[in-house]
Parts: sequence; structure tokens; C-alpha cells
Amino acid sequence: MRFLLTLLAAMVASLGLGVGSAWYLIAAPHVGTETVGAWRSLPTVDAETASPYTRARVARIGELGMGTGLGLTFTAVGDDGGRRLDGRCDYAIEGVSPTARLWTLVATDGNGRAATTPGGRTAVDSRTALRDGAGRFTVTAAASARPGNWLPVPAGGGFTLTLRLYDTPAAASADRLPVLPAIVRKDCP
Amino acid sequence: MIRAMVWLIGVVVVAGIVHIVTVFGVPHHAVRDPWNEIAAIGPTGRFVILPREGRDLRKPPAGLDPTMAAAACRFDLDGGPIRLKASAPDVYWSLSLYDRRGLSVWSLDNRASGGRGLDVLVASDVHVAQLRENPPEELEDIVIVDWKGREGIALLQIFAQQGSLLPEIAAALGAAECKASPLS
Repeated sequence: MRFLLTLLAAMVASLGLGVGSAWYLIAAPHVGTETVGAWRSLPTVDAETASPYTRARVARIGELGMGTGLGLTFTAVGDDGGRRLDGRCDYAIEGVSPTARLWTLVATDGNGRAATTPGGRTAVDSRTALRDGAGRFTVTAAASARPGNWLPVPAGGGFTLTLRLYDTPAAASADRLPVLPAIVRKDCP
Repeated sequence: MIRAMVWLIGVVVVAGIVHIVTVFGVPHHAVRDPWNEIAAIGPTGRFVILPREGRDLRKPPAGLDPTMAAAACRFDLDGGPIRLKASAPDVYWSLSLYDRRGLSVWSLDNRASGGRGLDVLVASDVHVAQLRENPPEELEDIVIVDWKGREGIALLQIFAQQGSLLPEIAAALGAAECKASPLS
């Protein structure tokens, strides 16, 4: 009797561990790609080199990712201090423009939906971002309107920043990683 | 003590097997992969304009950049090679070809296309061999993509942040062609 109970517990535990760990790694990339500050590059979605986890994620959530030929995608779920991004706070995303013909910056909630301004804008991009004389820019990420480059973020709860670099000479390998802007937490209730 | 260790090792080994089976099993049981998702938006064999974050209530496929206006076409090569043709305004645009599983196979952006419009022929091995043997004159300026599978997804994205260009971009997406063009 005791043996059967232990066996049952062991089976439940291994099933839970196996499916749980698989789900965790499929849901979002946590390991195995390069990081720059708080940013992590997304794994390749190229048919020849995609990892089994990427294949499973694409199949499960219907994601159409950016092929390596077009550019690189980076995401951040925390600030430079390692704290989780929070929709109740203001963040300054500042630095020089990454080397790319075009870059776009978007904030999304847990369901992947982008926050929008009342005017229907979802992103800050390299064509419209205001810069100072030295080419540096500061984007203020906040749930309600801010002066300057305002990136709308989902109100309340955590969010994810996605930075896409189109036509960039950088690559997702350690020796050719791009320089990316810092994410600094400002006002927080 | 030893018995507990044996149980623990057993749990880890079985969990590992379950992990691997789950990861490799998911693609075979997927109902929400890009192929099915695009089918839910519009028919096969032509470009369908995808909903856009912030402008449509319907949720667009995951992973797309909301700054891009996008149209996708599911195609199969049963009726001959597929000709993809579009003329976009002078802004950033890209064409990505995905396989049946939604993985990126080939892509092109406006700079790589040399500033000309988009004109691509997706052809199977057999079609490519036929084209080499007997190259039609009209195909001289066209980009030919050697396609391994039978099916695929073409995704056309145009950078659409400038309000003044939106009507032109919508017209370009609406007029984009994704047609079977049998070899004569």
C-alpha cells in the first residue's frame, strides 16, 4: 500500500515537473540567447536553426517572428536594476540610436497586446523619435501622456518592452551585439 | 535513504522524458499555428490584410510589429509557382516567407530589392529546373525562390507610422498579388 502511494506521488511529481518545465521554456525565452543590459535577444525563428522550444512556441501561439535576414528583436521584462517592469511606474529608456536602418519600440501586456495612445499610436520609432544634438534620445515609458518621446505602456501590472532592429549590421552573437538603450526606473508610487 | 534516492532519480528521469515528449509533441497537435490563424482571417491564395494593434479590435497574429501594416498569403505550389507582386511607397517594407510550420525561410526588404517594387516567384525544385531550361523573357528581373515544401506563408509588411501615407499603404497591401502562375 505504501509502495503504491509513493509510486503515485512519484508519477504525479514527474508529470508535473516535466510538463511544467516544458511549458515554462516554451512560453517565453528565458535562457540560451544573448543579453545586453536588461534586453534579451529573441531566439531565431529560421526554419533551419530554430530550437525545439521555438518550434513549439510558434505552433502553440501562432507567432510570426522576424527572420534573421531582416533584423533582430530584443525584449526586456525588467529594468537595469533587475526589477520587474511595472505599469504604475515611469521609465526612462535612454541612449544612442542602435545601429539599424529602422528601429521600433513597443510595450505589451501579458497577452501580447500593445498599449496605445488616444491617437492610436503604439510605438516609438527611429523616424519620429526626438533626439538631442549628440544623437541621444530619451523615451519616457508611462501609462499616461508625457512630454517628449512618450511610449504608452499597459496601465498596472507587468509589461514587456520589445525593441526591433531592422536591417542592422549587429548579430545575435556575443562579439557583434548592438549597443542598446538603458532602462531606468523613475517615479514609482 | 538509498530508496529515497532511487525514487528521486526515477522522478527526474521520467520528468525529463515527459519534458522532451511535450516539447516535440506540441507542434503536432497545434491548432493555433500561423497557418491556421491566417486561415481564420481570410482565404488561401491571396493576400489578406491582417488586423493591426491599436486600430482593429481583432487580435493580430502574435509577434508582429504594430508599427507595420501587414498582409499575409497562404499559398501552395500545386497550381504552379506563386508570383508575389506589390509596389509599396518609398518607406521600409519587407517580405518574409514562412514554411507550413510558421518558421522563417526567406526574406527580402526594400533595400535588398534595390528600390524596385516587389516581384518574387516562389517555385519548387521541378519548376526551377524547368525555368532554367527554358527561361521566359518576362522573368528576367524577377527574384526566384527555390521552395522546399509544398505550402507556405508570405508576409508583406510596410512601415506605417506616417499618417499621411496610410491610404497609399493600405492600397498597396490591397493590390498585392499572390497568384499561381503556371509555366507554359
